[in-house]
Amino acid sequence: MTTTWKITLRILRQKQGETKTSWQDFSLDIDPDETVLDAVERVWAFQDRSLTFRHACHHSTCGACGMRVNNIEKLTCITPIRSVTHNNGMLRIEPLRNFPIVSDLVVDVSHFFQELEIMQAPAVSSNSTANLDYEEVFPDVAEKERLIDCIECGLCVSACPVALTDEAYVGPAALSGLHQALAANALSANLALADNHSGVWRCHSAFECSAVCPSNVEPGYRIMDLRKKLMRKNFHQWFGGKEAGK
Amino acid sequence: MMDKPTILIIGAGFTGCALAYDLTLRGFSVTVVDRGEICSGTSGRTHGLLHSGSRYCVNDPEAAVECIEENTILRRIARQCIEFNNGLFLAISEEELAYKETFKAGAEKCGIPIRWMDKKDILSREPAINPQVLGGFEVPDGSFDPLRLALAFAGSARNRGAIFLPFHQVESIHIDGRSSVDFIILTDRHTGRSIEQHADMVINATGAWAGKIAEMAGVNVPVIPSPGVMVAFEKRMSNYVVNRLSLPGDGDIIIPQRRMSVIGTTSFEVNDADYIPVDQGMVKEMVDRAIEMIPAIARVKIRASYMSARPLIQTGTNARSLSRTFKVFDHETDHGLKGFITITGGKATTCRVMAEKTADLVCEKFAWRKTCQTKDFELDSYRTFYNRQA
Amino acid sequence: MKGSPSPRNFLQWFDPRGRSAGSWGFMLNRITGLGLVLYLAMHMIVLFQLTRGAEAYDSFIQLMKNPIFIIGELLVIAAGIMHGINGIRIGLTSFGIAVRYQLTMLIIAGIISAGGILFFAIHMLGGA
Repeated sequence: MTTTWKITLRILRQKQGETKTSWQDFSLDIDPDETVLDAVERVWAFQDRSLTFRHACHHSTCGACGMRVNNIEKLTCITPIRSVTHNNGMLRIEPLRNFPIVSDLVVDVSHFFQELEIMQAPAVSSNSTANLDYEEVFPDVAEKERLIDCIECGLCVSACPVALTDEAYVGPAALSGLHQALAANALSANLALADNHSGVWRCHSAFECSAVCPSNVEPGYRIMDLRKKLMRKNFHQWFGGKEAGK
Repeated sequence: MMDKPTILIIGAGFTGCALAYDLTLRGFSVTVVDRGEICSGTSGRTHGLLHSGSRYCVNDPEAAVECIEENTILRRIARQCIEFNNGLFLAISEEELAYKETFKAGAEKCGIPIRWMDKKDILSREPAINPQVLGGFEVPDGSFDPLRLALAFAGSARNRGAIFLPFHQVESIHIDGRSSVDFIILTDRHTGRSIEQHADMVINATGAWAGKIAEMAGVNVPVIPSPGVMVAFEKRMSNYVVNRLSLPGDGDIIIPQRRMSVIGTTSFEVNDADYIPVDQGMVKEMVDRAIEMIPAIARVKIRASYMSARPLIQTGTNARSLSRTFKVFDHETDHGLKGFITITGGKATTCRVMAEKTADLVCEKFAWRKTCQTKDFELDSYRTFYNRQA
Repeated sequence: MKGSPSPRNFLQWFDPRGRSAGSWGFMLNRITGLGLVLYLAMHMIVLFQLTRGAEAYDSFIQLMKNPIFIIGELLVIAAGIMHGINGIRIGLTSFGIAVRYQLTMLIIAGIISAGGILFFAIHMLGGA
């Protein structure tokens, strides 16, 4: 009853400490409703045990399995094979961009997590503050709590053209983290962290972050909203008058 | 004072990470190895239910008591990655309603605080629930982010000196002439190179794979990987964790998590847990069961379906009826092999106490007089696991 | 380190594979911006011709009537229109205005730009 596709995974391989990279092809028969992560895991399980990749939850809550699939950043655990190729098709799998590569598909996320930690983004927040400010929240559940949308997968950073060239750029995830921290607890969040040439003002409006985000974070919207908040604050500082509520 | 004993933990799931934290706090020198990163096996793929113990309060009070105690402790120490919105045990059929008193007595006996809610009360709080509901109990369930819970333990351990070697595969375990584990050979999967790792004690915390690792040391651990399917829907349909007011069965829990609802699970047995394909028949069964509790879920798209292999300790009975509590195998008393312990079984909610009991045994072996401190402090931020080592 | 951000990666800005519409806006703004800067430099050189007397300037202007230069001028106008109109979109979103409609605004900016370029093309090339 289930269909089977024959596909080729072309995976970018590299060992730690070696500069050489190479593409390696793996062909496999797979149900197209399985995910790209399933395909990668099958390669590891049945064809090549030396393949390294990050993964944990397999249902888009942990954010570990981000990769570039045919040049597009994907959270591979929720990307069905069907949605990215066809029968007898090929999938090019690469590690995320703009992160130091450790080996194969594993990237070093330490700097990325440190930036997020500096922003003091909470992992859990009330429904009313976890949702984007334009989203409707029913009053009955507003104070129930939930894990926030950002799963810290790094897809936005990989897709960002500015992050490609500027190592100092704080990046869409961390800026979104600050925006989330501000929503959850305006008093402890430090808006000044975004108000510099490596912060929100470095963004060049390609909106790729929002395009690839698998988890409704809308980093592009959040960065622009931070700019609005900063302009309002700075305007009041320069021209006197009372500072509007943050 | 003697030198710090060195402990090597195999497996960076919930148990391995919590154990690393416990042992580090007690002053041991700890190294954790895993062939994946953190939570790359069963732990990462749990549905994320923080048990109140209610699920087991009738048929497995021992597990239930453990759960409610650990639930209370995690509320204190791991607040950072847990949604505490409580859970509901729904009576939808008359049969389930008849179970009310048995459940109530069980919960009371185990010390789980519960409260009866009538139909109107339930539907006003959770409008998506099946309107045929007859009533239900509110219990202190929660839901957590699997990776982040393990990272919080691992980060706290690492910040206090534990060494983590992710992507290191155990190749062989070597025993010296005195029947004691001497060293293990690892492959660093980043580089492909082999390394030899010595330790005063090796702890096998590989869950469903514990049998395979124990085999390398020449001992037998009766663990069978028992996978179950989980289905994540694209929409958060409730804020309470939704259960059925009956004995535990297949597909009877819907867990809200971020913007999703996750339903689980089933239970069967496999020999090898390295790759378990998703059984579409089971997915369909899960969807049908979810619709019984929340009818509107029929119109919600499935975001992911995945398999997770629990470690079930074999005692010759069928998988579901086994106690969900964990077991520590002391291979010195069991098989005359020194310096090797296996910890397996259990569940995410009880990972801290599993670590505590294992660490107690380790302390006994080394005559190391330190008691467990993991209840006392809030865990460090899970993000600090990724801090670059100074 | 391999994979890390580096200014040398800038060529990848112009690799459209896998990228969304927003990146086209980003790419075009970079290209048109550079083009306009280049034109400004050339414009200064042209004005410099005035210092060499009326005759030199007239012969230079004669050269500019060549169709190739007319197409060049059209490109400058096209760059100006695209850069300017997309600039309005970016300016608005940077003030937090209509950020959720940035894609719609990009499409509208594209349509307006195409219309403007077409108008100038007919006007300038039609007479030739």
